[in-house]
Amino acid sequence: MEATAPVITKADTMLRIDGVHKWLGDNHVLKGVDIEVRTGEIVCILGPSGSGKSTLLRCINHLDPVDGGTIEIAGERVGYETRSGHLYEQRERQVAKARQQIGMVFQHFNLFGHMTALENVTYGPAKILGRPRKQVLATARELLAKVGMADRAEAYPSQLSGGQQQRVAIARALAMEPRLMMFDEPTSALDPELVGEVLATMRQVAEEGMTMVVVTHEIGFAREVADRVVFMDQGRVLEDGPAREVLDDPRHERTATFLRRVR
Amino acid sequence: MMTEVHSAGQSQPAALGVGSHYVRRAGDEPAMQEAPLRARHRLGYGQILALIAALVAFGIFVRSQAGNPNMDWNVTGEYLFHPLILNGVAVTIQLAVLAMLISIVLAFGVAVAIQSTNKVASALGRAYVWFFRGVPMLVQVLLWYNLAVLFPTILGRDTNTLISGFTAGLFALSLAESGYMAEIIRGGILSVPAGQTDAGVSLGLTRGQALRRIVLPQSIRVIIPPTGNQFIGMLKATSLVSVIGGSDLLTRAQLIYGQNFKILPLLVVAVLWYLVLVTIASIGQYFLEKRFNNSQPGSRQARKGAGTPGTTTTAIRSMTGGALWKRQRR
Ligand SMILES: Nc1ncnc2c1ncn2[C@@H]1O[C@H](COP(=O)(O)OP(=O)(O)OP(=O)(O)O)[C@@H](O)[C@H]1O
Ligand SMILES: [Mg+2]
Repeated sequence: MEATAPVITKADTMLRIDGVHKWLGDNHVLKGVDIEVRTGEIVCILGPSGSGKSTLLRCINHLDPVDGGTIEIAGERVGYETRSGHLYEQRERQVAKARQQIGMVFQHFNLFGHMTALENVTYGPAKILGRPRKQVLATARELLAKVGMADRAEAYPSQLSGGQQQRVAIARALAMEPRLMMFDEPTSALDPELVGEVLATMRQVAEEGMTMVVVTHEIGFAREVADRVVFMDQGRVLEDGPAREVLDDPRHERTATFLRRVR
Repeated sequence: MMTEVHSAGQSQPAALGVGSHYVRRAGDEPAMQEAPLRARHRLGYGQILALIAALVAFGIFVRSQAGNPNMDWNVTGEYLFHPLILNGVAVTIQLAVLAMLISIVLAFGVAVAIQSTNKVASALGRAYVWFFRGVPMLVQVLLWYNLAVLFPTILGRDTNTLISGFTAGLFALSLAESGYMAEIIRGGILSVPAGQTDAGVSLGLTRGQALRRIVLPQSIRVIIPPTGNQFIGMLKATSLVSVIGGSDLLTRAQLIYGQNFKILPLLVVAVLWYLVLVTIASIGQYFLEKRFNNSQPGSRQARKGAGTPGTTTTAIRSMTGGALWKRQRR
């Protein structure tokens, strides 16, 4: 994650989504999605409600299995493996291991309700990665300080505002030292006044060179922070290009109408 | 900028007209509330009439029965603290507590099995609930007591000596109760939002681990109050083992009136003791419910005494012997 040689690290692919299909019941939610994200790249996914953005993120870390196509993180398939020419779904433990590399931030924060902010952040490294307690605590406090929550470390999620909870959730995901961070509309459950603080935290994460996939309706954030913007509609990618180009000069008519409406 | 705030609400002067625009200035304080409202309840005629009717009915009943020779209060008093009866009370408490504990352990296993993605385990769990919740408790008590008919010996020993009335009763009550408790625990699991599992799994837990480490601890809040109810039910259900001589309170009362024929006085002894036990349990239940209902997730109600806002988690932690001390130290 060091920014020493950004040119070289940007070259290799962190996430490759290739022809992914997904059905939820009778609903064909993803209809052949291709997206490639290079290491250190920040990609924002835009699209109307129901276009399949959340489903796509859930497929990436195999919370939902795909029905077709492949998803690879750093060259390794997520959730599946081929043995002697046959494709198998991986065992729970293997999938769990793969997910440790992918941080996920949810629209509704989903902080563990029975743990303090600090415990939420230490849980992964201490109980899943088995790191030594002292080191875990030190890193967790650092992370909480970074997201501006050092003074509320002992608070429970129910005692925190939405924006504060979301910042702790970001720290919780970062504590696992993931290679890729995914955000699913991280600010859309927040009061307008609290959106800014969460976006600022995300901007900070971006500046440190994290590879990020961000589903958002915050056009301003996308324009400023994203390298690329992907526009999805009805389970398909309609447009995918440099952030400013897509946002300021959309080539697909559907993208243009969508952007006019959210602005 | 902070001294002038647009205000919509209580601090507005009451006489603000349509279309006017209030801006609060520094030192502009809303009126303090001087005294809380105190309204008296009126005693309605309906309540007075109901009270008189109840007193009259009760009086008639007492007058007619007080002198009834079959209702010998001296005998009741004599046996209320009889060693045999007291021993029966102890057995009843033991039976209820043990059966409840065993059933909770079993029920956790069954609930997790039903909720698991393993289809076989899930089906077995459902079958378990279907059977043990479906067969009447009394029948289950009799079944266990008569196990010797099916298995005359267990591990080379005579079944009838191995399984006394107490153990047969304990097995039956535990298993029957575990059917109900499994459903209560499953309800608790379902009450925890799916996002908690998603978050745990995204962090790198398996689904099973997320269920046990993230979901179950948070479901306790929902599980505790109905478990209190079940325990009260269990205190009464122990009387079923009297049909197999389980040496509980009712068995002892029956044993005594079988010899001295003072049936009603001894049944009253049993009634009084059951009421005492249930009352104690209800008081415990009341405090448990108060504690757990006061602390819905997301509520910021201050807990009495402690300086920090109360949460579900404090209650759960103290229940599970968790790190409550860590918070109170501050
Ligand atoms: N469990 C389900 N069963 C069937 N259809 C579902 C299910 N969950 C979601 N869908 C459908 O899948 C489609 C894609 O949903 P998804 O949540 O991925 O959209 P989204 O782009 O994230 O929308 P939003 O912006 O509202 O979050 C929607 O049409 C939705 O109705
Ligand atoms: Mg969504």
